[in-house]
Amino acid sequence: MIDFLNTYHHLFNVFLIGSGYALSQWVVMRAGVFSVATAGLASIGAYAAAILTMRLGWHYLASLVAASVLGAAVGLLLSWPLARLRGVFQAIATLAFVQVVMALALYSDNLTGGAMGLNAIPNLVGTVETLVSLLLVVYLMMAIGATRLGRAFEAIRQNEAVASSLGVSVNFHQALAFAISGAIAGLFGGLEAFQSFTLFPATFGFPAVIAALSYVVLGGRRSVAGPIVGAAILLALPEFSRPLADYRMALYGAILMLVIAFMPRGIVDTGLLALRRRRIARSSPAEARE
Amino acid sequence: MLAQQILNGLVVGGVYALFALGFTLVFGIHHLMNLAHGAVFMTGAFVALYSVLAGFPLWTGVLLAIMVCGLLSVVIEITAFRRLRKSGEAEFGAIISTLGADLIIMTFAQKISASEVLRFPFETFPVRIFEFAGLRVSLLQLFMAVSAFVLMLVLFWYLYRTPLGTRVRSVSGNERAAVLCGVNPNVVYFQTFFLSGALAGASGVLIGLAFNSIQYTMGEPFLLRGFVVIVLGGMGSIPGAMIAGLLFGMIQTLTAAYLPAGLTDAIIFSLLFVILLVRPYGLFGKETAGAMRAER
Repeated sequence: MIDFLNTYHHLFNVFLIGSGYALSQWVVMRAGVFSVATAGLASIGAYAAAILTMRLGWHYLASLVAASVLGAAVGLLLSWPLARLRGVFQAIATLAFVQVVMALALYSDNLTGGAMGLNAIPNLVGTVETLVSLLLVVYLMMAIGATRLGRAFEAIRQNEAVASSLGVSVNFHQALAFAISGAIAGLFGGLEAFQSFTLFPATFGFPAVIAALSYVVLGGRRSVAGPIVGAAILLALPEFSRPLADYRMALYGAILMLVIAFMPRGIVDTGLLALRRRRIARSSPAEARE
Repeated sequence: MLAQQILNGLVVGGVYALFALGFTLVFGIHHLMNLAHGAVFMTGAFVALYSVLAGFPLWTGVLLAIMVCGLLSVVIEITAFRRLRKSGEAEFGAIISTLGADLIIMTFAQKISASEVLRFPFETFPVRIFEFAGLRVSLLQLFMAVSAFVLMLVLFWYLYRTPLGTRVRSVSGNERAAVLCGVNPNVVYFQTFFLSGALAGASGVLIGLAFNSIQYTMGEPFLLRGFVVIVLGGMGSIPGAMIAGLLFGMIQTLTAAYLPAGLTDAIIFSLLFVILLVRPYGLFGKETAGAMRAER
């Protein structure tokens, strides 16, 4: 076990951060918003945390809190114009946001280091802090799922018209989802900054958008476990397919295609559905046949 | 100087329009996003390049690129879309599965080119410059403009003047009704994806010739800019994509020429964001951007 941990220690940290981004992506999708802003919000959080600690000498915990608050604030701001859009249009608008954040990070090089990267960031957090943060976020997400708020998200996702006819404010809940997503993205962006020694604007570009989105869609969009399982599978995959080194990305692509073709709801949701069907079949065979 | 920049912008814009047409065709007719479109575009440049390197004349390379990309796009339809369409979860699913296709194509291109930036041999396309009313136009630019224009005309003729095009448009209107009238949707999907891929391939060759730097990653920036073009023109609108492509080419050339270099992307994507907020259906699109939707 200790050996395993030593070998895959770095991979485990990457997985924890990836799961954080995945949950940030998941929470907006759960409220029926097709936003892909996570990468941009994480970028803001990462740079904010790094700059606050390096330039102003803030304690890293204060910087992380600030990154999280800033992420939530930007998410909230973003939700206001985006309330007018739906579906693919939201996705494209938030993709534009991610690109703008990246372009500005590249441009303002006296603050962010530009294309050369922001270097020599102190390494202040380890696996423990990241794991605690992830568990905290998972707990909060599960708690939200069990309350009125979670049911409101669920109703909006399933059918907006029905939700608003039941008195669930679509705009309010989607703004809230944006803020939560921004807080998570900002926090994990900050954690990544304090772990990776250096930050590049391109780290939070289109590939990061795609990564977060594929964790969620592959793992499952309904349960909390979905995005984490998705992140675990997609991040572990390149590591365990070393013999195929050159074709790693092709393998990654093939797995995405296969899973989506045969389990369009994602691995966890499809599994849960199958389990539930079996349980129903055992208790009342007639019902399951429907 | 300004007139020259506008002219250059129009030529590049014609190619953007060509690329975006294929993208918007699939979205307009099937309401699906094909993220592998950039990889198909890149494949076009690769096929033309390798056939020229193998000793074939350029026109064979162009035709070959168009054919190969058309077929590649059809393969993407069959592998990445067909099963998903039946499941009813295509809106998210298509993004992930075409992304998978994109990664696979890019990996093979990377392997073939050994991650290097490739170039057409010198004088593959004769370098000749014409002077016209104080403006400089190269033969290549003329060729790009003319071929973009001709390909767009062919697409128009096909969609609006042939019975096959009528079937394609009927599926776009209402797939179920079209099936009831005896249209085979799979044949229509075959055609639209072939056309879409062929257009991407053609624009890939043209861009490959124009900038003469061909790389396995060249599709991604075009895909992202393709988003701007199709949103500006109105998602799914074919005349919109053409005009927006030209406009976009000009905007890009002018911002690159007159504003700080690092800001081009920031301006272009801020523009996209603003268009989506002010006029989400673009210049010519239908007003569906804010429509409430059922389950997702």
